Amino acid sequence: MKPSTAYLALYNAAQACGWAAILVVLVIGVTQRETPEQLYDRAAPLTKLVQGAAILDTLHAAVGLVPSSPAMTLMFWVGRGNALFAITEPIAALHASWWAVLMLGAWAAAEVIRYPWYAAITLGACPGWLTWLRYTMFIPLFPLGTLAEMALMWTALPELQSRRLYSLGLPNPYNWAFDYHRFIQIVLLLYPLLWWQLYSSLLRARAKKLGGSKGGSSKGGSGEGSRPPAADILRQETRSKLLKTQ
Amino acid sequence: MKLEVVSRSGRSIATLDVNPDSTVAELKKKFHGLKKTYYPARQRFALPVKAGETRGQVLSDDSKRLSDYGLAEGGKLEFKDLGPQIGYSTVFFWEYFGPLVVYPLFFFLPQYLYPHIKAPAGGTQHALVQKLACAYWCFHYAKRIVETFTVHKFGHATMPIFNLFKNCGYYWGYAAYVSYFVNHPLYTAPNQTVSVACLAAAVLAQLGNFWSHLILAGLRKPGEKEYRIPKGGLFNYVSCANYTFEIWGWLLYSVAVQSIPAYLFAATGAAQMTQWAIAKHNRLRKLFDGKDGRPKYPRRWIIFPPFL
Repeated sequence: MKPSTAYLALYNAAQACGWAAILVVLVIGVTQRETPEQLYDRAAPLTKLVQGAAILDTLHAAVGLVPSSPAMTLMFWVGRGNALFAITEPIAALHASWWAVLMLGAWAAAEVIRYPWYAAITLGACPGWLTWLRYTMFIPLFPLGTLAEMALMWTALPELQSRRLYSLGLPNPYNWAFDYHRFIQIVLLLYPLLWWQLYSSLLRARAKKLGGSKGGSSKGGSGEGSRPPAADILRQETRSKLLKTQ
Repeated sequence: MKLEVVSRSGRSIATLDVNPDSTVAELKKKFHGLKKTYYPARQRFALPVKAGETRGQVLSDDSKRLSDYGLAEGGKLEFKDLGPQIGYSTVFFWEYFGPLVVYPLFFFLPQYLYPHIKAPAGGTQHALVQKLACAYWCFHYAKRIVETFTVHKFGHATMPIFNLFKNCGYYWGYAAYVSYFVNHPLYTAPNQTVSVACLAAAVLAQLGNFWSHLILAGLRKPGEKEYRIPKGGLFNYVSCANYTFEIWGWLLYSVAVQSIPAYLFAATGAAQMTQWAIAKHNRLRKLFDGKDGRPKYPRRWIIFPPFL
């Protein structure tokens, strides 16, 4: 096995474990009727770690280790980072909000499928049902996560303004002024557009990967013990892409 | 010979009867006669996809004959509508005209553009660096407009009209963003000696950029279509020497005015130029591979020694 393959498999497996732990903590906490604040206190530290580490996704794309677009992965990371580190973390009232719990939960539920899928693809052993999950579960989870992020930003606006967080006023030696509160208002306006860009490209990818051969993959798969065609095509495509980047 | 024109989805659009020795340009004129909406600049024809290809070969050279592309009786052509087109020089003019007008607005009319700031008694006083920066900015864009109509030779005649709005948005937007802060009443002027020296060096960079444009314009004689290896000036060492000087110009401008928006503008421009430079450098290296009597592309920096 190539070192880069082993590294990628390990990285994706580590991310998968981290997000799984977050999801488990949240699920157990919810069943035990913990308050949002307790849930956030439990889940946030690990989330900050794994979400912060996810900048590596962009690095891997930038050096050609994976076929993803560096620009897209960076946009994704910045969006999530902003919601978690810049908005939710510094504003105590948001820790007690169900929106924060929903955001962490939606993220974790999606990543607990996405990272194992990446790991399986890297090792060339991806079952059809995992591909199906990866290209289907985003449909409800992505809008939920985005909605939660927007709700948190909206709720944060008054405090962003009163505390003038991350803002710079003139005069200063950089000859620049930045009003983060106004910036977030503009981000909120643009969010649906940016979300739709990502969402529609995932839907298109879904049509390509799961559409496959007519009547092949959607018939519940492994009848004769052979893997559904769509997953095969997918594996071959990804393998040849990984080989090309060497 | 009869050629069948199909859409990209395979639907038959028209049948054209043309002479095999006629040029692509003549084909496009004939097609325009049949379909009035699609003037020649909007038309793109491609051959059907052959085995081993992902896309069909495009009939990109208007002066080539149809037979040169291997077209014969009963041949098929795939048509793509490139959308409404606009001339390169038109786009260049409008995208450069904006900054030429927008930037000085903040310098000359602060009472209207900073209405929330009370005007000081006796009118706004500008530091020397703000005055020189405004002059440099206007000189730069005036130079670009002059080059558009006197120096540049464009490889393509037109681009999609959407680019007009995209490019103008970029140039006009950044002009306003940079100018707002550099000409702000609460602007903090940096060390004057350093600033003046930087702007002087920036002017030299602009001269270098102009010289590079002259070299590029002189690479092909009128009517020639082939790529040539750029030579002369900084091109002997850098594939895209024109971009090198341009990046230096904006870097020096930013240091002179000490404003974050200026640095952001310089960085954005540099990033785009780097993308273009890498593509051009690789295209030239692939073309000039040293085989079959072709010269070998010399080892050169791509855009910005000593980094890339």
